[in-house]
Amino acid sequence: MNDLNLHQEQKPLVFTLLFSLLLAFLCFFGPSHSLAYDLEKKVLKYELENGLVVLILERHISPTVSFYIRHRVGALQEGDGSTGAAHLLEHMLFKGTKTIGTKNYRQEKRLLDEIRKTGNALDHERLKGEQADRDTIDRLLGKLRHLQSQAKALMVDNEIDRLYTENGAVDLNASTGQDVTSYHVSLPANKMELWARIESDRMMNPVFREFYSERDVVMEERKQTIESAPQRKLMELLLATAFKAHPYRRPIIGWPSDVQSLSMDYIEWFSRTYHAPNNTVIAVVGDVDPVKTLGIVKKYFGTISRVNLPPLQITAEPPQQGEQRVELVADANPYLLIGYHKPTLPSFDDYVFDVMDAILTRGRTSRLYRILVEERGIAESIDTANGLPGSKYPNLFAIMATPRHPHTAEELEAAIHAEIEKLKKEPVSLRELEKVVNQFRADLIRDLDSNNGLASKLSYYEAITGDFRYITRHIQVVESIKSADIMKTARTYFVPENRTVATLVRREKP
Amino acid sequence: MIMKRLLPALLMAALLTPLCDGLCAPPLPDPQRLKYPPLTFTPPEPERVELENGMVLYVLEDRELPVVHVSAVIRAGSAYDPEGREGLAELTAHVMRTGGTRSMTGDEIDDLLEFTAASISVSAGTDTASADLFVLKKDFDRVFQIFSDILIHPVFDERKLELAKGLKIEDLRRVADVPQRLAFREFRKVLYSGNPRGRLSTIESVGRIQKDDLEGFHKRFFLPRNIMIAVSGDVDGKEVIEKFRRHFAGWHDAGRVHPVLPPGEKHSSPIYYLHKEGPQSTIIVGFLAPEKKSPDSYPFTLLDFIVGSGGFRSRIFQEIRSNMGLAYSTGSYYEGREGYGVFGSYAITKSETTGTVLARLRQILQDAGHRKVLEGELTWAKNAIVNSFIFSFSSTDLIATQQMMIEFHGLPPDYLRTYRGRIKAVNRDDVLRVAGQYLRDDRATTLVVGNEQNFDRPLSTFGDIHKIDWK
Repeated sequence: MNDLNLHQEQKPLVFTLLFSLLLAFLCFFGPSHSLAYDLEKKVLKYELENGLVVLILERHISPTVSFYIRHRVGALQEGDGSTGAAHLLEHMLFKGTKTIGTKNYRQEKRLLDEIRKTGNALDHERLKGEQADRDTIDRLLGKLRHLQSQAKALMVDNEIDRLYTENGAVDLNASTGQDVTSYHVSLPANKMELWARIESDRMMNPVFREFYSERDVVMEERKQTIESAPQRKLMELLLATAFKAHPYRRPIIGWPSDVQSLSMDYIEWFSRTYHAPNNTVIAVVGDVDPVKTLGIVKKYFGTISRVNLPPLQITAEPPQQGEQRVELVADANPYLLIGYHKPTLPSFDDYVFDVMDAILTRGRTSRLYRILVEERGIAESIDTANGLPGSKYPNLFAIMATPRHPHTAEELEAAIHAEIEKLKKEPVSLRELEKVVNQFRADLIRDLDSNNGLASKLSYYEAITGDFRYITRHIQVVESIKSADIMKTARTYFVPENRTVATLVRREKP
Repeated sequence: MIMKRLLPALLMAALLTPLCDGLCAPPLPDPQRLKYPPLTFTPPEPERVELENGMVLYVLEDRELPVVHVSAVIRAGSAYDPEGREGLAELTAHVMRTGGTRSMTGDEIDDLLEFTAASISVSAGTDTASADLFVLKKDFDRVFQIFSDILIHPVFDERKLELAKGLKIEDLRRVADVPQRLAFREFRKVLYSGNPRGRLSTIESVGRIQKDDLEGFHKRFFLPRNIMIAVSGDVDGKEVIEKFRRHFAGWHDAGRVHPVLPPGEKHSSPIYYLHKEGPQSTIIVGFLAPEKKSPDSYPFTLLDFIVGSGGFRSRIFQEIRSNMGLAYSTGSYYEGREGYGVFGSYAITKSETTGTVLARLRQILQDAGHRKVLEGELTWAKNAIVNSFIFSFSSTDLIATQQMMIEFHGLPPDYLRTYRGRIKAVNRDDVLRVAGQYLRDDRATTLVVGNEQNFDRPLSTFGDIHKIDWK
């Protein structure tokens, strides 16, 4: 809430500054490609009057362009009982708009309203559980099917995808996170207007066709990606255990019973409220003319109205006060997850965790790989991740380990704890720190090689931190980190009472 | 103040909403009629060099970033694994990277690469192996020395071999943990049965492999005439060619490797069933398909696009996911390789709708061979392939590697230049012909991995069932 007010009060200033930046950009920075590629100077940032932030970066390697749209909304904003809403909305936004995907919207709308009423009544009855009336359910189901087949005749299925693919789009996809929902696509550089036409339309005028069958698709998605994937199911369990109060405890895809009864009304409200221009960041990277790009973005997105975002009341996670352990029994080999609560970016500790992440598991010379996989042979794989399941709020540093038979998860866990203890007690060598800095520096250069990757990073950090320059400044903070900082952070957070351990246990055959 | 500004807007909205709610003439242009400026692009051409020992090199300078990419392709993959030693190609590639060279131990190499943030990887696929290098320009010389030593003079350290075997065995123990992975792996076995490509590694075959097997495999396949290399990035063409001469000149030619025979034609259409507990079934129906060099690969590429790989509007996705809501992952894939090709269609659906989905999938495939695709479908598919073609040139690394692969696969040098024209020239009859020829009902290989007890219809109603076990 504070962030929001601050942002709005500062808006005129930001606007002016950005506008002068635009002028400076146009006057002084041509499309030359010096070796000292200065990302900060090359990215043009602009804020439209409706609050939409646009980042533009010229790259003329090939006549292609990548687009990322990030809405600052995700599973975080869902109400309890409505988990999975942000993700189902993401699916629904591929179903077209009032002018894309219809043969006659006037007639179609009447049917869609009927479908909504019938579907609501059906869900209402089903939610009664044991007391539900079977005949009512059958009657409503019959009616719904009839309406759906009528609606089918008036729609042009999957038209957004068809338009994009026909025009040569690649990497067309969308994703939903805890903090951010993203829509991305790459196109031949001359097709920018198609992107603006489709994306601005689906922000303003989405139409939720095939709502109930898409809900079924998401149920299949859950069965496939969680229920049939024991390691991912264990991650769901780790998060649900580590977080007791904060919304990060809930799975992005949603709990099955919630997804099964998500309503069109709620999804529509969610879309109208959160896919607002003042809640959105766009990045355009590729063979484009910034002035023309801005013109097109303004023409299509500039007319979308600003929305008063509802205050976001997020329950803070109270400090954990004792180790938590949980087990998943499944028809699969053992697997181990360990999570520690920690602050998120841009706190200094978060940078220290990025460094520890690299020290522990980046590459064959990393500590955990060398000891657990190579020397002791007790792990098949070992990995760490800083910042699960999101970055907007305090999150977890997670360790993911696969024991190598006949070694057990318990044995592996003890060995991991022993290595973590070393971080607390022994200073990391200068050479190890230098290695990490070298790696992060090289990453920065390597990332510059892809339009899609750049658009993704720029828009993500702009959406999360409010300033894409987090990407370039990250390395400066990392360079300043000393071995004493690592010991301090490790001692603060790597303590048993701040730890959650989830273990996958093989189901014994009867 | 906010209220004052909002009030008129609210009134307007109240007035307009019931009248206008999307029903007014749309202010937005018809997306189908948007006009686009022409797109012109002449991709840079990599320089081709053949060294004295027969090794072919493609070089493309690109000064945008201070980095160098090197990609090598080698005719050596799991298809060349000796019987009983399945897994040898993969282990050889793995230990070439980790086991050290004549001048450095594996650990020293890891240390240098990671300290300079460079990366070298070596891996083996079915028909080819590959080696890749990424390095900052400033470290190119010393890292390139390692790269060439790994290719020419690897030392297969026993300890690193034991580790590689242990890791592979653990991986194999876990194959069935994720049903989809198990399904696609088993599908290879049944689709290529009777061909080396269908013999996959097992815990036993990996356990048998010894150091001299790796040495033998390396000696047999890693040869100047059996490898091609592409270099791109911040390099001087002349200098880099000299560098290659210096490092690779002493590598002697010992002939060329002949490709493994392509998989044989199918004369039956069994349905394989593999029992796996879980909420869903993985269904795969596949066929052998045109090789990359065949003129049929053009109409077949369009057929595959229309049937299942062309996104949401392709038939399988449209029907099984959008219309029926019965799968999240469903579609098809086609890959034309050297001497053969493979087409697969798949759907992952809950156990209770397995029969419904399998029946529909088969119907879609058979229909393609009996009825011409619609004119609109073909135009859409052609436009999609022709318009997205530009993405094959989106980085210099890609351009250089691609040109190398064209020669490696024995395709004509103008393959890329003529590609779009050949796609455009395909007509509906061509698509019908290849569908009828390759997607024949009596040559289908079908695999269902799931729990039969919960199926909506017994699999035996689809044909002869062959139960298989994954181990």
